[in-house]
Amino acid sequence: MKARHLAWLRRLSQGAFLCLFLFLMVKAQLPGDAALDYSRTFSPMDGTQQTAPSLLPDIRITQPVGLFFQMDPLVWLSSMVSARTWLAGFGLAAAVLLTALFFGRFFCGFICPLGTLHHLTGAIRPSLTKKELIIANQTRNSRRLKYILLATLAGAALAGMNFAGLLDPISLLFRSLGLALTAAAGIGLHDLFGFLAASDIKLLNYLGYGGEALSAPIFGYDNRVVETGWFLGLLFLVILFLNRLRPRFWCRTLCPLGALLGLCSRWSILRLEKDADKCTRCGRCTQTCQGAASPTPGEEWRTDECLICFNCAADCPEDALAFRFRLPFGMPRKTDLNRRALMAGMAGGIALPFLGRLDGRSDRALAADLIRPPGSLSEPEFLDRCQRCGLCMKVCPTGAVQPALSAAGVSGLWTPVLVMSLGYCEYACTLCTSVCPTGAIAPLTLAEKIQSPVRIGSAFLDRGRCLPWNGNAPCIVCEEHCPTSPKAIYFKNDVITRSDGRTLPVQLPYVDLSRCVGCGICQNKCPVRGKPAIRVISAGESRSLENQILL
Amino acid sequence: MSHEPITRRESLKRIGKISAGLTLGAGLVSPLTSLLARAALPKPQATAAWLVEGVGEQPGYCVKTLTRKVFDAAGGMGKFISKGDVVVIKPNISWAQAPHLAVTTHPEVMQAVIELCQEAGAKKVRIADNTIHDAGRCFAVTGAASVAEKTGADLVHPRSSMMKKMNLHGHRLDVWPVFTPFVEADKIINLPVAKVHGLSVLTLGMKNWIGGVGGRRSALHQDIHQSIVDLAQFFRPQLTLIDAIRILTANGPSGGSPSDVKIENRLILSNDMVAADTRAARLFGKTPEDVAFIHLGNKWGLGSSDLERLDRQSVVL
Repeated sequence: MKARHLAWLRRLSQGAFLCLFLFLMVKAQLPGDAALDYSRTFSPMDGTQQTAPSLLPDIRITQPVGLFFQMDPLVWLSSMVSARTWLAGFGLAAAVLLTALFFGRFFCGFICPLGTLHHLTGAIRPSLTKKELIIANQTRNSRRLKYILLATLAGAALAGMNFAGLLDPISLLFRSLGLALTAAAGIGLHDLFGFLAASDIKLLNYLGYGGEALSAPIFGYDNRVVETGWFLGLLFLVILFLNRLRPRFWCRTLCPLGALLGLCSRWSILRLEKDADKCTRCGRCTQTCQGAASPTPGEEWRTDECLICFNCAADCPEDALAFRFRLPFGMPRKTDLNRRALMAGMAGGIALPFLGRLDGRSDRALAADLIRPPGSLSEPEFLDRCQRCGLCMKVCPTGAVQPALSAAGVSGLWTPVLVMSLGYCEYACTLCTSVCPTGAIAPLTLAEKIQSPVRIGSAFLDRGRCLPWNGNAPCIVCEEHCPTSPKAIYFKNDVITRSDGRTLPVQLPYVDLSRCVGCGICQNKCPVRGKPAIRVISAGESRSLENQILL
Repeated sequence: MSHEPITRRESLKRIGKISAGLTLGAGLVSPLTSLLARAALPKPQATAAWLVEGVGEQPGYCVKTLTRKVFDAAGGMGKFISKGDVVVIKPNISWAQAPHLAVTTHPEVMQAVIELCQEAGAKKVRIADNTIHDAGRCFAVTGAASVAEKTGADLVHPRSSMMKKMNLHGHRLDVWPVFTPFVEADKIINLPVAKVHGLSVLTLGMKNWIGGVGGRRSALHQDIHQSIVDLAQFFRPQLTLIDAIRILTANGPSGGSPSDVKIENRLILSNDMVAADTRAARLFGKTPEDVAFIHLGNKWGLGSSDLERLDRQSVVL
């Protein structure tokens, strides 16, 4: 096969995997056509037989929405090292590592959807001029940074804290695109369609409503809130913009997964063979080189930088370049991860977890607002595994699961926390527990969640704000929505004398902590907006032995 | 029903211009022409109040058959639905709980009613409820999505763009966002489930209309009974069919445990929402005096809580 064909094969593969990623990203939500077979929950109508809770239906996403995480060796290895346990289900990640051993950074060139986006952004015209590209594509010392970052992540994981998700390309892409940018685009589209729908022109009306119907399966019917979403989105746009300075800036300079695969590629049997006699020094190979891997004859080709895009061989007018399978005779060239970089990176990485623990958020039950999704492991174990990918946040049907900015401390940046003013944990929903790629949120069945019960926190009444407690109005909204049976919120009847001397019979709400699961719907629905009169804190959560209130 | 502050006809005129394409948003097409035709519909004639009760006595009886028999006894669906009508069904599917927990309307009752409407020549049958839990989950778990799939009825996803501010002309409520399918309907059938409620004592037919509006609904509880009556007089359904196949006797309205459920095997159909609620309240041992919104509904002339003055029938399966 000619290099030209290989380059087209690569483009096809990139397009296919990017589409697959986007498809799975869109599918990472409550299925729009979910319809459970209700007949199995009915017992005969004689009233004697009670339905076992195990018969209650669980909604699941049928597509493998965690697929790209399961083929990501960095997600797999960092979680295993940090949690010091074997994680099953990552066969594809192992396969990616194996392909790197034989074919170099094949994943970066052919599969990685973030790499593809970088590739596209760098190539869109007007891009850099030919001369500028040749300069931008020279091998630079900054390429070493990614190895240092990888060493830092490894050091931190060894010391028991997993930061890999902050820089992992798949997690970064899903978090930025799936959460922030999709939600932002949704707001824009809703505004546009709303504007059209309000128009006096009939055609625009139809466009508005048709647009809403078409966009709803992807962007939802209403605007979604993503805390710190502006920052996630902006960061991503900046990272994309860097490609306009140097093509695939991220892949060359920062990507820790690229560094990991680069390390594996030292012994790759797929090698670029150069024929210096044919070369006319025209520079085209460097001009189109995506990895800045020194493809020009006369220079030393860098296996660990090459993204296997086949551009150099495809574009060489003299056929001076060709990729061939060759056993790497003799010792391979020294890797960029030299001893000094490794030591510096590891030292930094090992120090990070201890710095990260200074705020006490992960060690002590200090964080009232650190409410994790149901099924989450205990906090240290959770942080060992969480990749901050945002999958649980994307699938939450109420939008309660949000990327943490400060709630989980610095070591928990962008990990999932529940914000009850934005959503609540639906009592009979276990969707987020079914998608976590690393098991930081353990899978729960509905029966397990309800019968155990799995508590994520406890509700406390703020009597100073509560309407009936102050004689302002009768109100039972918290009790009405309380989903447990028997309800965790109950009343005592009272008569309040108001300022004008009139009396008001009221039902005063109380919370029974032994029944409360901390779902937060009371807080979410409380008519006292802004800072509701009943609020959930993490105390009492099932996953912690220490963060308990009752004896 | 002379104390009707705003007719559907008036409200239609008011929003006709804007709502021309609204239905398309739900994946439905409703040409402007049919809307205008509906705006010209005569005001429903006030007829004598009647009430039909269906009781399933045989073990393992068919809920759908019972529903059909109840409508047969009332004179058939054709008496209420005209050919070409857009009918909107308002079940209570507000909580994402499985239907055996008696928190939501029995899906087989819903299915039978939709099929009856279709057989009577309805052009379009829609299922609409502004749910409390996430709508997608409510549809999936309560069985409403299955019913829509089986019958071809439209299940309208509630969202802010489908809430239209309208003047309810109520005693307590004035301008409030209304879920548009109800505004655009030719006929409305209310399909509540009978449950206990911490504040309004019971939730039956009239209270079901809290699911017909959007906005700050949690504030309605500060004057719940008058709010219920205001909403009921605004929506004024053609028929109210109360699902008491099984009723929720504790931990309402959210329920959650089979032990809160009592099997009644009963359906209550009436053209008088106050009468239907009065009859259903008796299943819980409550009188209109115990349930203030029934009392108020009677007082404001929405219907009669005097069951003796009704034309009453009963069917047994």
